[in-house]
Amino acid sequence: MTKIFIIALLINNVVLMRFLALCSYVGMTSDVGQSIGMGFAVTFVTVLATAATWPLYHFVLAPLGLGFLQILVFILVIASLVQLVEFYLKKNVPGLYAAMGIYLPLITTNCAILAVTFENISNKYSFIESIVYAVGASLGYLLAMVLLAGVRERIKNSPVPGFLKGTPILFAATSLIAIAFMGFSGLVK
Amino acid sequence: MKRLWKIFKQGIINENPLLMLMIGLCSALAVTTSVSNGVGMGLAMTFVLLFSEIIISLFRKVIPSSARMPIFIIVIAAFTTIIDLVMKAYFPELSKSMGVFIPLIVVNCIIMGRVEAFASKEKVVDCVADALGMGLGYTWVLVGIAALRELLGNGTLAGVQVMPASFQPILFFILPPGGFLVFALFISLNIWLKGRMQKAEAKSAAKAEEVAA
Amino acid sequence: MMKDIVKLGLVLAAFAAAACVGLAFVNLATEAQIAVNAEKQLNESLSGLFSEAERFEDLSAELKSPDDGVKFEAAYLALRAGAPLGLAVKASGQSYGGPTTVLVGVGLDRKIVGVRVLDGKDTPGLGANAMNPTFFVDKSKKTTFPGQFAGKALSDPFEVKNDVIAITASTITSKAITKMIKVAADAGAVRLEASAQATQAPATGGM
Repeated sequence: MTKIFIIALLINNVVLMRFLALCSYVGMTSDVGQSIGMGFAVTFVTVLATAATWPLYHFVLAPLGLGFLQILVFILVIASLVQLVEFYLKKNVPGLYAAMGIYLPLITTNCAILAVTFENISNKYSFIESIVYAVGASLGYLLAMVLLAGVRERIKNSPVPGFLKGTPILFAATSLIAIAFMGFSGLVK
Repeated sequence: MKRLWKIFKQGIINENPLLMLMIGLCSALAVTTSVSNGVGMGLAMTFVLLFSEIIISLFRKVIPSSARMPIFIIVIAAFTTIIDLVMKAYFPELSKSMGVFIPLIVVNCIIMGRVEAFASKEKVVDCVADALGMGLGYTWVLVGIAALRELLGNGTLAGVQVMPASFQPILFFILPPGGFLVFALFISLNIWLKGRMQKAEAKSAAKAEEVAA
Repeated sequence: MMKDIVKLGLVLAAFAAAACVGLAFVNLATEAQIAVNAEKQLNESLSGLFSEAERFEDLSAELKSPDDGVKFEAAYLALRAGAPLGLAVKASGQSYGGPTTVLVGVGLDRKIVGVRVLDGKDTPGLGANAMNPTFFVDKSKKTTFPGQFAGKALSDPFEVKNDVIAITASTITSKAITKMIKVAADAGAVRLEASAQATQAPATGGM
């Protein structure tokens, strides 16, 4: 169990090693606060989505032989889940909504969430293992977001070589962070 | 015809979805460890984009605007499933090596973006031009990145050994950090290309004005 | 207001229904081919391991893994003229990047006949080289990582960096696959001996 968690969080980090959720990684890291908000919103929805899609696949789609509808059903579940969470937070937890609300609509197309739900099925994880994997992977996302946001705040005041100005320097910096993450590979045997 | 050409051309450099609009990045980096993956992913994504744009454009007048998002998602998910099944059936090797990234076409922001910004407003022929242009723009970048990474990281191109046997592959390029670095260089290259093209256009425009004067 | 909601619902339902029907057709058209692909891959791997076998008996229900970390997905007894030649076990377990599936063949002499890595999710360029037919752990002899197990006796220690050559920079993958092979081969050898005795017993009893 800890093995699944550590692998998902550090060794196979969704962003730095698996290249998932890069759109929001570039788009939502211009300041640290924003990246933390997005990170927690994604964590929340990923865990919720896993809790919803795992039983749906194993108790409805698979027994009925409708496995081919997996993509369609999962993405619709995630989209409606995001909507529900938005309504619920708005009405009942306005404080949290103010902090997280603006990120929610962007989450539907966050590929890390969908990828985690697919992999829970294809890796044949049990329900508990799936939840652990979901938490690990999405906290890994949060970690990568905060790291890049921190680097970006430094880049703002640094002289960047002309040809790397703008987005190229972000990916060059990410490359270096990814090298550091490769060092985690010996953590689990 | 000229208008269609113009739409088609947009996606290749000026509005290149990967390098300029910064969307659809995930698949672009994850599958580009070999040229065959790059080609496969490019074509799969173009297929989904083309047919989603056609369907949405055909039905654009009957889709109520408040329900458009779920409908777009349904259409895109349907075509993604089709390409996923077809690849599993007829290209099992390719499908295996790309794994989860084929189903993930469904959340590729390029498709959602183009369907929302273009197909829901424009005629079918324009959509075909747009989808093919964007698809080609996506594919050339994928194949370019993949070629560089495979050549330096493995000494092969599309699985064929090209580098001399004495060449020691630079593993870095196949690994994730190498992917990020190569991508950074490609964005940089595209910015330079765009700058040159704009300069050339400005020059020819100035010349045309001179002649007219 | 009510009318709008009903209309929205109907349009949505129409699109969803059309999508499901369309997908059902595509699924029908490709399902058979996908099953054929999976079967073909398995058959090719099986007959690659036991080229002399005439038929394979499915023993998947009988073989259970003794180890929590390794799952047995299927097992096949290779037969020639009614007598067992060997046993192939399809086993899966966690490797570095995710689940990996291997097919392990054991012979009557308690030696490994061969190993195929069927499926894996390891890093391209590193662990994924376990599946690469042109990646040699021993360059002079041109043996691949799974290839080095062919002919290996089950009494060997099966230790990476001792009697098993690891894939460069992928010790975790190498260890995980080696463990799967060992567990599958041990269980397979026990089951194989049981069927070998069962077929021999009536033959000797008749004499």
